[in-house]
Amino acid sequence: MSETITIAVPSKGRLKEEALKRMEAAGYAVQPPQDARTYRAAVASHPQVEVAFLSASEIARELGKGSIDLGITGEDLVREGLPDSENRVTRLAQLGFGHADVVVAVPEPWVDVETMADLGLVAADFRHRHGRRLRIATKYWRLTQQHFSQTHGIQLYRIIESLGATEGAPAAGQADVIVDITSTGSTLRANHLKVLKDGVILQSQACLFAPKPAPGGADRGETVAALAAALGA
Amino acid sequence: MNALRSFSARADIETILAQLGAERLDVPVLQPADPFLDTAGEELRRRIFLSESETGETLCLRPEFTIPVCLHHLESAETGQRRYGYVGTAFRQRRVGGNEFLQAGIEDIGDTDGAAADARSLADALALLKALDVTAKTVTTLGDQAVFNAVITGLGLPRGWAVRLSHAFGDRGTLDSALEALAHPSAPPEVPADILEPCEARDRSALVNALTMRLRIAGLENSGGRDAGEIADRLIARFDAAEIAPDAAALATLRDFLAIRAPLNAAAGALSDFADANRLDLSGAIADFAERESEMDRAGVDTAAVFYDAAFGRALDYYTALVYEITLPDGLVLVGGGRYDRLLTMLGAKTAMPGVGFSVWLDRIGALTGGAS
Repeated sequence: MSETITIAVPSKGRLKEEALKRMEAAGYAVQPPQDARTYRAAVASHPQVEVAFLSASEIARELGKGSIDLGITGEDLVREGLPDSENRVTRLAQLGFGHADVVVAVPEPWVDVETMADLGLVAADFRHRHGRRLRIATKYWRLTQQHFSQTHGIQLYRIIESLGATEGAPAAGQADVIVDITSTGSTLRANHLKVLKDGVILQSQACLFAPKPAPGGADRGETVAALAAALGA
Repeated sequence: MNALRSFSARADIETILAQLGAERLDVPVLQPADPFLDTAGEELRRRIFLSESETGETLCLRPEFTIPVCLHHLESAETGQRRYGYVGTAFRQRRVGGNEFLQAGIEDIGDTDGAAADARSLADALALLKALDVTAKTVTTLGDQAVFNAVITGLGLPRGWAVRLSHAFGDRGTLDSALEALAHPSAPPEVPADILEPCEARDRSALVNALTMRLRIAGLENSGGRDAGEIADRLIARFDAAEIAPDAAALATLRDFLAIRAPLNAAAGALSDFADANRLDLSGAIADFAERESEMDRAGVDTAAVFYDAAFGRALDYYTALVYEITLPDGLVLVGGGRYDRLLTMLGAKTAMPGVGFSVWLDRIGALTGGAS
């Protein structure tokens, strides 16, 4: 009997439902735990596979620690929640659900700002005009920094941490622009915000990830590879 | 290895700083983080050690000394000139190598004789290296943002371009891509009809009205951010820029300027030649440059051994004119210095307050001179 491997699945919401549906379609139907308060479940057809229900952002962290063999979670959470994620996890498959883009959005009346370069010029001049730096409300500060500082060479801004209702931050006077997640863009439009032409930082969806390097020996490797392949890797 | 232990001569550094006439200042290791993030930008967040006080104030381990020294100067409500000397550990996160650096330096705040203060700063930096027994060959490079800005102004570039170039100065990659972008005509932005009409007519007040309406609808009319006038001006400037063919000659002149490299004692001459050849009036900037050079000469700096590099700057908007660096031939920086006339007002000074200073990387010097014993 080979060693047990663990795949982490989001513990609630649509991500959980979709992930369980995909597991079932792949021939790995998850048995609902006997006690609804438990966060572990088994796969009847594959006794060597154990399912751990974790919060979607916790899955990113556990992947980083290498304490699970596979994890299904949103790519945005991995790129944001895990420093140096390129070198710490492998993305094995995009699962085609949980679509959402992380975008840079500015007030719709900023008709002179269409691109990151425009925004960079506004940021460069901001202190001179307003006595403070341009403020960006976001909960994605790592992705924001990468996009602004490393990709577009924009340094002069301040991040205002926003843990909810980020779209409302400009009208509330808390920030000038936002970096947030959007799936249809309707919330942004309702808040009179528009996405910059090159303002899509990440086209995120639910993905299957594995830690890099993979934990465990060849024995586990086979089980992991079989499950990953069944899920489309 | 503990940086402090690597220099048994720490007390000697304090003596050297005192001999150079600097008053000793100890600033706290824990500093408010906001002044650093506000001045240097969010990129710094990844590189500093952040913490939080019980009352929610964001603190950091000092990543450098200039800002803490300036904050001390402002808190002590000092109005005159002071020269502060410091030695201590600075903390920055790095992926590889240590996170603690022993640094010493002098910050000269409030001296209105800029040329003399600049000269003393570089002379002090060189004297400090000498007193620390640095015998290896070093290279001193000097740059000047004020000269670059004078060239931009002399070329009569539109304000949008001037801001962009001036902002990019000191970061070769950003500057090159800015030059590249300016070499190509830019299309005017796509805007809705109610905006396009007044834009094309260059009817600023109609444009401001239309934008005010949009800001009101978006709930941004009094948000304290960008207002209709600012957006209108930038938009009209973009429509103007789309009609003006990029000035190829101006861009070629800028590239020629950025290629100027000369020993400091020949640099003012090289700048004059450049100005004459391109029919630019740089007389004010060149006069300041030449005055500073003669002050450096008087302060005992060997100006034939200092290199002026027209493209050398720091992409931080509080550096205003002089920047310098003393490196090993392989590029390892031993000393960084410069004039930051905009920093103190950024940190809250009510009136303009000049400042110039330098910082020495003592660990690197310790490794060079074997001071680690």
